[in-house]
Amino acid sequence: MPETIKYSEDELVQLLQSGDQTAFEYLYDHYSGALNTVILKLISDQQLAEDILQEAFVKIWNNFSAYDPTKGRLFTWMLNITRNLTIDTLRSKSFKKQAKIQDTENAVSYTSNNINENDKFDALDIRKQTMLLKEDQKRVIELAYFEGLTQEEISKALGIPLGTVKTRMRTAISVLKKLLQT
Amino acid sequence: MTKEEFILSGLLELYAMGISSPEETQVVHEHLDRFPELEQDLKETEIALENYALSNSTKPSSSVKEKLFNQLFSGNENKQVNEAPVVSMNKKYPIPLFYKSIAAAVFILLIGSMVLNYTYFNKYHKAQNALDVAQQQLQQKEESNEAMSHDLEVVTNKYAMPVVLNGTPNSPDALAKIFWMKNTGQVYVDPTNLPKVPSGMQYQLWGIVDGKPVSGGMIETSKGIYHIQKMNSFGKVDAFAITLEKAGGSPTPTMDQMIVSAKM
Repeated sequence: MPETIKYSEDELVQLLQSGDQTAFEYLYDHYSGALNTVILKLISDQQLAEDILQEAFVKIWNNFSAYDPTKGRLFTWMLNITRNLTIDTLRSKSFKKQAKIQDTENAVSYTSNNINENDKFDALDIRKQTMLLKEDQKRVIELAYFEGLTQEEISKALGIPLGTVKTRMRTAISVLKKLLQT
Repeated sequence: MTKEEFILSGLLELYAMGISSPEETQVVHEHLDRFPELEQDLKETEIALENYALSNSTKPSSSVKEKLFNQLFSGNENKQVNEAPVVSMNKKYPIPLFYKSIAAAVFILLIGSMVLNYTYFNKYHKAQNALDVAQQQLQQKEESNEAMSHDLEVVTNKYAMPVVLNGTPNSPDALAKIFWMKNTGQVYVDPTNLPKVPSGMQYQLWGIVDGKPVSGGMIETSKGIYHIQKMNSFGKVDAFAITLEKAGGSPTPTMDQMIVSAKM
């Protein structure tokens, strides 16, 4: 990369509030992959996922004045917009019709998405993370954080008590926090 | 809730993951206001989760970024795209016009060429006819010239003995000449001054040999030309006579149709 501009969270927010396109490009380059993963957790149709990702960034740009830095980080806000947009799409009538037709295709592409996941770790070299985070902890984090399931919903989905969900979530987050300090 | 109770409730984590209910979100906002030091805890939790998400990135195809930035920022580029087809259409027009004028020119040349072809073909045809006529006339002249020189040859032959056959009372104005070649005994007749032959009739030459008439052959006058012509030869002749006979000749002369005669 010839030019790696690094913005602090505050700088980035300020530039975006003033409508800086270069800052927005940085935002896209930096976060589109992570948001794309969130969409792909919920929708396996790659084409539809890319449409949602595009729409999500349009919303982020157009509604940036609605972001309040005192209420949380920029990524959390972006993730919520993206996830809600994806869930809205899933609930829409046109998607339900399409989903029935594409059931078989989805079964195939879902497998390939799982394969892709392993490659992502190499890209950012955070292998330690997967070592430290147990599979069942990862599962709880992804269901909540990526797919927006409540703790009750996760409990039902995994068939485990609500208390276990809470414990696993808490442990997982503290493991991820410890990674920050190393 | 006290600060410790709030931390133990786990609401901050739910909030950081974006899965807190509206009521829970309200509670979190209240406690963040009351205990500003909680903001650091929230920030750490968010960054931890954010890093997990970033480490799970799935790069979207580059077309998404292209489409996104076109949609948001390419107002000017859209105008250019709209102008482009107009320019190309303007460029397209001179080409058909050019070909049209070429086609028109070619068509005019074709018509002109056809007219000239017709004119010159007619001229050629007329010239050809004129040439044919001229050649025919020339041939006739040559033929007649040849006949004349043949006549002259006979007349000027040094062995030729001319015999004049005078008209009988039947045709007092008629006259014919015989050129008798003394060396060969050949007989030539000049019918130039004989009257015009009635149709279906022909002059026949006779030689009187030992008092008997012997045919000297038919005189050819069918073409209207009365040239000197070669007849049958006689050894010894007492007299010559020419009678008018029916075409093709007769074995014996019709005496009352004798036109000219001469005694040797």
